[in-house]
Amino acid sequence: MTGPGDGRAELEARLREPLEALAGLDRRTFLRLAAAVAAVGLAPTGCGDLSRPLAPPPGVALASLTPRSYAVFQAAALRLLGPKPAAIVASGAVDPAGLADAWLARLPELAATLHRGLLVLELAPWPVLPKLRPFTRLDGRSQDWVLRDLMLSASDWKRALFKGVKSFACLTFYASPPSRAVTRYPGPFGSAEVTIADAMRYDDGPGVPRGPDAADAPDGH
Amino acid sequence: MAGPSSTLRADAVVIGTGAGGAPVAAHLAEAGAQVVMLEAGPRLETSELTGGEAEMTRRLYTLAQAAGSGLSLYAGACVGGSTLINDALCWRTPPEVLASWRDAHGLVELDDAGFAPFVDQAWRDLGASPTGRDHVNRNAHVLALGAQALGWANEAMPRSVQGCANLGLCNFGCPSGAKQSTLRTFVPRAERAGVRVVADARADRIEIAGGAARAVEATLLDTLSRRPRAALRVEAPLVVVAAGVLGTAPLLLRSGVAGGVGEQVQLHTSLHVTARFAEPIHGYYGPTMAWAVTEFSDVHGHGGPGFMIENTALHPVATASALPGFGAAHEASIARLPFLARALVVLRDEARGRFQTTSDGTPTLEHVLTDADRRRLHQGMCAIARLYFAAGAEEVILPIDGMPPLRDAVEIDELEGGSLDPRAASLLYAVHLFGGAAMGGAGSGAPCDAWGRVRGVRGLVVSDAAALPSNTGVNPQITIVANALRIGAALSREGAA
Repeated sequence: MTGPGDGRAELEARLREPLEALAGLDRRTFLRLAAAVAAVGLAPTGCGDLSRPLAPPPGVALASLTPRSYAVFQAAALRLLGPKPAAIVASGAVDPAGLADAWLARLPELAATLHRGLLVLELAPWPVLPKLRPFTRLDGRSQDWVLRDLMLSASDWKRALFKGVKSFACLTFYASPPSRAVTRYPGPFGSAEVTIADAMRYDDGPGVPRGPDAADAPDGH
Repeated sequence: MAGPSSTLRADAVVIGTGAGGAPVAAHLAEAGAQVVMLEAGPRLETSELTGGEAEMTRRLYTLAQAAGSGLSLYAGACVGGSTLINDALCWRTPPEVLASWRDAHGLVELDDAGFAPFVDQAWRDLGASPTGRDHVNRNAHVLALGAQALGWANEAMPRSVQGCANLGLCNFGCPSGAKQSTLRTFVPRAERAGVRVVADARADRIEIAGGAARAVEATLLDTLSRRPRAALRVEAPLVVVAAGVLGTAPLLLRSGVAGGVGEQVQLHTSLHVTARFAEPIHGYYGPTMAWAVTEFSDVHGHGGPGFMIENTALHPVATASALPGFGAAHEASIARLPFLARALVVLRDEARGRFQTTSDGTPTLEHVLTDADRRRLHQGMCAIARLYFAAGAEEVILPIDGMPPLRDAVEIDELEGGSLDPRAASLLYAVHLFGGAAMGGAGSGAPCDAWGRVRGVRGLVVSDAAALPSNTGVNPQITIVANALRIGAALSREGAA
């Protein structure tokens, strides 16, 4: 049985966890995530109330992410990547969070930072982030609102969090062959439809500079 | 640390196998020295280069972030160093840069007689050759088209390749083996002369005693998991450091070397501008970079504000990651990948950064763009947009989160004269890094003399881009190799081995 006093304590407890995680965010370390097509991950603990589409596939053993952090990453990736990629993810053809888990297992030094960042994304309420419920429980439009707040924030850590999650979502999805249904990328060595030779063949057009022929080329000043 | 330990003894140990280290190792070994090369990254032979964007990025690159400007920093971390993942572009060292190194840094040795022969040698050793029409893809072609329409100076860039198959995988090691990285040139040459190359060996500290370098303490890493598996000590009276700018100064600082180490770091800050055309571009095939707009360069006699524009490849992951925004709008942009062209600004930064040691002992590069740098980045961004519209682009996507694509060149007029807010950029990065253990003449305060010798420590030499006193305004591969050849020749001549 709970009373008003217990409710306040509960609220304070709920706020404490994300704010402690926030305070623990090492900005420099976290910025490394955004560097290149690198990192993202998330938090620990169980996944009792996660919505079913965000849960790891049955029988899959996570190496670095927890079920909750898997879900937060997957939820963010679905919104960041857009509708058609999200449909491909929903079909099971690509599992961005599962791929992120595999990457993070090789990047242990980043896993802890990622863990904190995703914990903040999931749990931090207003005024830290423009939401009152966990990120994974928001509808798509509200999730976009949170992501947009991160993207356009004046705060370094928020932008770093956005760039880190986005970079890793792009890495895990667009490195997977099913993503070619979105991009029409023929693959690294060409395809039957688009060969490398075809791609290199085009009309120079009149008066357009050409690369030098080997015989008359300058050699770099 | 856990695991067994072993000790090697040699005449010289060279830390790094890229453009700064491999030429020195080859020189010393060919002069009769016993040499050990240490490489923190793995060794992947050409047959192991799969072309997979994600896998190769993970295995061949190291990533870092500059505090302050927030720039992403990329470098090679493999046998071959950055020469294995670069675009193979070759530019001779600009005479204006050499003049400034002589005048402002006291490096009087770097005159035509002292440096040009090594540039020639680097040109030959790397097989630099002109880029002909067969290797100018449409991505490069539209850049040339736009420059031509605007009357801007532009040219094809020579590359260090032999038998390029137009795979477009230069940044992932070049699976065809055409690129003349040090993995294909100086490393085999060094090995033929007896050099022992130890890959997956991270140099942790240089042991200095009695004012002289004595040994390198290293950790051997598991090639896949990157976890430590053993300790290695290499004892040698000569230690040559060429771990790349992200590695060299931090290693020297960890080893207790002071006197200006970690200071005066310069970058070429870059950003991407993407354009959509009506016809397919297929910018993922062909050389990753081949064409330069030199109109705004301040070197090689151009006298501009100090940035180059160069086309750059469009692989799915890198392109998607750099495009601004997210969600449906982002998807709409990347869904047109075959029709996208992309170019970058290569800014000759005015800013100078420095490595600082954080509370946990990790060196971090502190770097803040100057107001002038931000204005020139903005100018470069607008110039590329104008160029693409001149080439017939249907829309231009600037790397600014929250900004919709431009549909017409008129929209650029409203942007001209501004200054880039680095916080708003979807990606700012640098792959050309310089300094941190720079050479300088007597009285310059630089940590190294004109031959890369660390002042106050006998037998310790820096031979990579960390030794260069400033950025070069052009892709620096040839300059780094030339300087390493110069230092290697001097060490061999002195009998340092």
